[in-house]
Amino acid sequence: MKRMAVAALMLALPFAAFAQQWKVDFAHSALTFTGTYQGERFEGRFKRFDAKIDYDPAQLASAKFDVTIDIASVDTANAERDQALPGKDFFDIAQFPRAHFVTTRFRKAANGEVVASGTLSLRGVAQPVTLAVKFSQAGNGATLDVDTTLKRLDFGIGSGDWADTSMIGNDVAVHGHLTLTR
Amino acid sequence: MPLRNTDTRWGGVAQTFHWLIAILILAQGAIGLTMVDLGMTPTKVKVFALHKSIGLTVLALALLRLAWRLTQRVPRDPPMPRWQHIAARVSHVLLYVLILALPLSGWLFNSAANFPLEWFGVVHVPSLTQGLDPTLKTWSLRAHVVLFWILIGALTVHVAAALWHHFVRRDDVLLRMLPDEGRKSRTGVLR
Repeated sequence: MKRMAVAALMLALPFAAFAQQWKVDFAHSALTFTGTYQGERFEGRFKRFDAKIDYDPAQLASAKFDVTIDIASVDTANAERDQALPGKDFFDIAQFPRAHFVTTRFRKAANGEVVASGTLSLRGVAQPVTLAVKFSQAGNGATLDVDTTLKRLDFGIGSGDWADTSMIGNDVAVHGHLTLTR
Repeated sequence: MPLRNTDTRWGGVAQTFHWLIAILILAQGAIGLTMVDLGMTPTKVKVFALHKSIGLTVLALALLRLAWRLTQRVPRDPPMPRWQHIAARVSHVLLYVLILALPLSGWLFNSAANFPLEWFGVVHVPSLTQGLDPTLKTWSLRAHVVLFWILIGALTVHVAAALWHHFVRRDDVLLRMLPDEGRKSRTGVLR
């Protein structure tokens, strides 16, 4: 009896682990952000990133997001800005080519929304970050939308001469939209 | 000095437009030629923003000036050869075209490059394009630079002609664009 239980568990465990593992359809996914420059909003995106998504809304305890972002792929639809952003004053991609975000905990807030806590390592600074998580499953696929607002100066992006937040706003809203398949 | 033009001199409104735009154009030229060589610092961003704000001001003033001009009589030219009447007319039309086209080409470049546009940081000025347009960006910048050098040429002719009238022909062409009420006419009546 005991042996059978162990055997059943051994069979079931991998399924439990794999059941919530998703593949990301990067062609239909986007990692975007909205900042302000000279008092106007502008949109940007990271064209290349990798995301490992383990998520089952019924089992938040075992959920995990692990995202790596290729900072050089930043695109804000302005050639001069896109030339400046990888430089030392901003993302400094020579030293910090990638950003990494990994979750540590998921919880359901009082209003029913799911909040993921994690650590974002960006430009050599690791900071706790919380994401608002919206997940909707349809058949074999799902969409995942995550939102957070970062303070660029917390990560030293545009420090020194560029720290003036009346020229470049401190708040940067980040949005991830992922199309997931089994 | 009357506000409106007379047969012999430009009125106060026309003179104000003329000299205000003249000062702004000189400032724009100096700022424009300097700013392109600045390093990528917040100072550069602020100087570019100033150049854009002054340029939009020139555009607005030029439109108002043109509207005013169309409601006004134009002081008579002094007696001079027919080709000089035509040359004066052509260069004035060209100057009007340029003070409209220069800011417009700058605005178009700014739009096609997807830069922000805030008039002196207070009024948002809309983009002329749907965001980034690399081809239009290239051509509008070329147009802006070419138009600038054409303007420099036209202004050189304009100033040279004014000085020639004043110091060689010794007529009232320059005086009628100057505010001094007590100034005596050299050839007739300045009212």
